[in-house]
Amino acid sequence: MRKRAPLQAPSQTLRMKIRNKQKWQRSLSAIIDNQKWLAYLILAPVVILIFFMAYFPAIQSFRFSLMYYNTRLPERIHFVGLNNYIRILKDPLFLEALKRTAYFVVIAVGMILSIALVFSLVLNENFKGRSILRALVILAWAIPPVVNGFMWKWLLSGDFGFLNGILYQFGLISSYEPWLKDPFMALNWATLTFVWRFTPFVTILLLGALQSIPLELYDSAKVDGAGARSCWWHITLPLLRPMLTIALIIIMIFAFTVFDEIYTLTGLDPATKTLMMYGYELAFEKGRFGIGSALAYVIGIFMFLITYFYIKSIYREVKY
Amino acid sequence: MINHKKILLYFCIVIMLIWSLVPLYWLILSSIIPQVDLYSIPPRWIPARITLENFRSILITGKGFRGAVGTTASELIKKGLINSLIVAGTTTLIMAVAAPLIGYVFARLDFPGKNLFFFYIIGMIAVPSWPVLIGLFSEFSKLGLLDTLTGLIILSVAYRMPFDTWFMKGYLSSIPTELEDAARIDGCTLLGAMFKVVLPLSLPGLMAVVIISFLFSWNMFMAPLILTYTLKAKPITVTISEFVGQFYAEWNLMSAGALVAIIPPILVALLFQKYLIKGIVGGAIK
Repeated sequence: MRKRAPLQAPSQTLRMKIRNKQKWQRSLSAIIDNQKWLAYLILAPVVILIFFMAYFPAIQSFRFSLMYYNTRLPERIHFVGLNNYIRILKDPLFLEALKRTAYFVVIAVGMILSIALVFSLVLNENFKGRSILRALVILAWAIPPVVNGFMWKWLLSGDFGFLNGILYQFGLISSYEPWLKDPFMALNWATLTFVWRFTPFVTILLLGALQSIPLELYDSAKVDGAGARSCWWHITLPLLRPMLTIALIIIMIFAFTVFDEIYTLTGLDPATKTLMMYGYELAFEKGRFGIGSALAYVIGIFMFLITYFYIKSIYREVKY
Repeated sequence: MINHKKILLYFCIVIMLIWSLVPLYWLILSSIIPQVDLYSIPPRWIPARITLENFRSILITGKGFRGAVGTTASELIKKGLINSLIVAGTTTLIMAVAAPLIGYVFARLDFPGKNLFFFYIIGMIAVPSWPVLIGLFSEFSKLGLLDTLTGLIILSVAYRMPFDTWFMKGYLSSIPTELEDAARIDGCTLLGAMFKVVLPLSLPGLMAVVIISFLFSWNMFMAPLILTYTLKAKPITVTISEFVGQFYAEWNLMSAGALVAIIPPILVALLFQKYLIKGIVGGAIK
């Protein structure tokens, strides 16, 4: 005779399993329908991802910044405390790179803000083909910065470049010139390359702010007899100011950390060696992770201060 | 008076057109006119003959160029394009699902530590990319993520988080909650209400997030430059920078290569311009 008991037993465990599964399903749906647990369920992977992609490596490189760490001399890695930071602040190359970066940022901020202001005022007018012009203006922003750097290198090229060709065509120069050769000019051209790519972004920001100004304000100002100039000084500019502040800080952040464009435009040429380029050279060309990390943290402190003011200004200025 | 204004306006429009288009025109011109016309002094500004020879040599024949490991130019471009499409495409897909969920969590749900979580994600903006890269390099090499597409995708997804969260939170907060409440009363679960009611309403905002995500991961350069070293994972931005270095002085070929790398982001930007503008404006102030 076959035993019946073993047959019954599985059926019972099966029933248990089914019941358990139902219970589990029910509790799962309860979790998913509970605000707290649903939130944690969605956020858990994000928190882990961000930890490993941002905070952990940041801590890691802070540890490097306190060590003598050259990837080419792995046997000599040792703790040196704040030595790397002291060496950087005493490094004349660092000071020069800092000066170049400051120049780059100041010129870029000034140029981008003024060009973008004019562009956005034009795009805020009513004329035929406005949306086409807006689309064309925005294009430059979508271009990969690396390619932008190359494009300008070609525009400015000394052998057959565009600038030479056009100036020659109009008789302004008698022979072709290498525009990127002079160090000071190279830095200016690098700034222009960045300005060209970043202006559309700021134009769109300012345009958005302009379009959110209620037209009634202008109407009632006109009723009160205000001219175009006083409209500009008393309505447009004050209402544009919050966005101008935000734009200013965004430009500063991005100008401070320009890398791609300079990398293809002039490479590691000392003429355009900003802090970012110098940091790249130290850490990845020379393999000096320790001092490279320390420099990165010095850049990081600048960036943190700028971002801090950015977030603060956003919280203060949200009036839209 | 009005005429003066009109003249000034049209003058500005012309300047804007020149400013935005001339560099691109030069790039296109130098990739489609025969070399004789390009390398004359001054060059021929309006193309008399058009040739696709440059594109043929970089995309198909590979024209002679051998890199350090014997790669041809066409391999460099084609592999780069495929890698970029995979990385940017996957990032975009992931963000299309993740962004509304995370935005929903912050805009609608109430839970302990909400602000803390929000600042944990947004705080990433303040963690400068530069120190992170050095740490990432050693982390990636330990995890075996160096020179892999997976590594690049994980990285680019992570770095889309702050902006996308911020933007979607703001966007969802601006949608009234009545519809959702009605759905909840009719027995919808939280997620059901989110997918059936909130998601359709937030589609324009989601489009903005998706497009900006695509553009950013397509244009990413510094991180892949450091974290990849073979064609297995190098995106087009990196291969194009090498290509440009190797073809030095062959400006026509370099221009054609540059155009190939520019076309996808430009197409996306043109086609979805409306959403792009919404994303830029919304992202900066919300």
